[in-house]
Amino acid sequence: MYIESHNVLWLDATQPATINDLVALSGLVEEEVCELVFAGALVPSNYPQVPWIFSADCVVTVRKASRLRDDLELDSHALALTLQLLEQVRTLEAELSKLRAQRPAFGMRD
Amino acid sequence: MAFTPNTRSPRSLPMKFKDYYAILGVARTASEDEIKKAYRNLARKYHPDVSKDPEGEEKFKDAAEAYATLKDAEKRAAYDRLGSHSAGEEFQPSQDWGDQFKTQFGDGGGPGASSFDGIDLSDLFASFSRGGGGRGGMGGAERAHTPRPIPGEDYDVTALITLEEAYSGTTVGLNLSVPTVDERGQMKRESRVLEARIPKGATAGQRLRLRGQGSKGFNGGRDGDVYLNIALRPHPLYRVDGHDLYIDLPLAPWEAALGTTVVVPTLAGRVNLKVAAAINSGQQLRLAKRGLPKPGGGEGDLFAVVKIVMPPELSEREQTLFKELADASTFNPRSSLLDEAHHVH
Repeated sequence: MYIESHNVLWLDATQPATINDLVALSGLVEEEVCELVFAGALVPSNYPQVPWIFSADCVVTVRKASRLRDDLELDSHALALTLQLLEQVRTLEAELSKLRAQRPAFGMRD
Repeated sequence: MAFTPNTRSPRSLPMKFKDYYAILGVARTASEDEIKKAYRNLARKYHPDVSKDPEGEEKFKDAAEAYATLKDAEKRAAYDRLGSHSAGEEFQPSQDWGDQFKTQFGDGGGPGASSFDGIDLSDLFASFSRGGGGRGGMGGAERAHTPRPIPGEDYDVTALITLEEAYSGTTVGLNLSVPTVDERGQMKRESRVLEARIPKGATAGQRLRLRGQGSKGFNGGRDGDVYLNIALRPHPLYRVDGHDLYIDLPLAPWEAALGTTVVVPTLAGRVNLKVAAAINSGQQLRLAKRGLPKPGGGEGDLFAVVKIVMPPELSEREQTLFKELADASTFNPRSSLLDEAHHVH
């Protein structure tokens, strides 16, 4: 057992990523990333300009896409639909979390 | 890959049996289609990207490991030849098994020779496709001379930290089980603690990539990465939305009516907050830049959410004063209800 220490990279909306980055980090091929863009499951931050530039949080999306493709044996259409539905769930959960944070906790600490 | 005779180490652990058929919930005689169907059902239910089950990830890993072996005719035949054991039972593949199925861990090195110690079933069957030399598979002498680059494993790990740790940054120790190659060229798993520095700016749901900190690549393949998913422990005072914080601000009815100045705890210490007169429950008072720091600079805000609280019991004097107020006031908080009801009818 040994210990290592190092720096980290944020995967957020402010850091840019190229399509080559997404391919290298996800295991998807370029055509599959393009299909996700054309299906609306992945949106370049400079769309419709080319070459596409993505925000680094797209790395999370394409890695998820790669896992779902491999583990659930999904074709490209099913993959794009699944990603869109998961994104809808994530958006709704974020909205719910926000509303819960803003709501006074009546009855909890009276 | 050649088998290296091995003197069993007294510290090495025996292999434990996993019943792949039971994990998938199928009979040992199940067809390929039945195995695929069972796996897909479990994957849809427990895949960590779609499941909310806290034990889903482990269940999915088990199902994926079972399916990876049973969907492959050669691996399934090798697994079946291991015989039936109870789940978790310690066992060793027989000498005959090692002779027949040439994994990288053993191809019959003679009586008493064994290199199965310290590995688990998944390592054993993964080696079939890693150039281990499975019969008729991907192995063989030619392959051994032209090894394919194999990237190191990536890891997705959730780091559960406190709000105070997110505010000031922290270091977390991550326990990883990484494949390594020992001095005999055999692949084993090793426990490794990765000390990851989380800079200030983290909040729930954010991801960090630790480049090259996953397992080492083989044959020139890239080293894997570690992806950290930040999760925050619930805080007794604050609720979190992104980098903004919310705290309940209890006020007595007369404080809400007349206005006051109160002391509010923030992550950077206490501050005085002036509350204007005639404030209502649910109204939010913003304390700018008193939330969590952001990765790119700047800070979120802290919102004090007004919560008007009655005393648990009113003294006689308080009751008297409230009665006087009730008699003196013409305010009707339900006038809008009555107006609306009038319009409906």
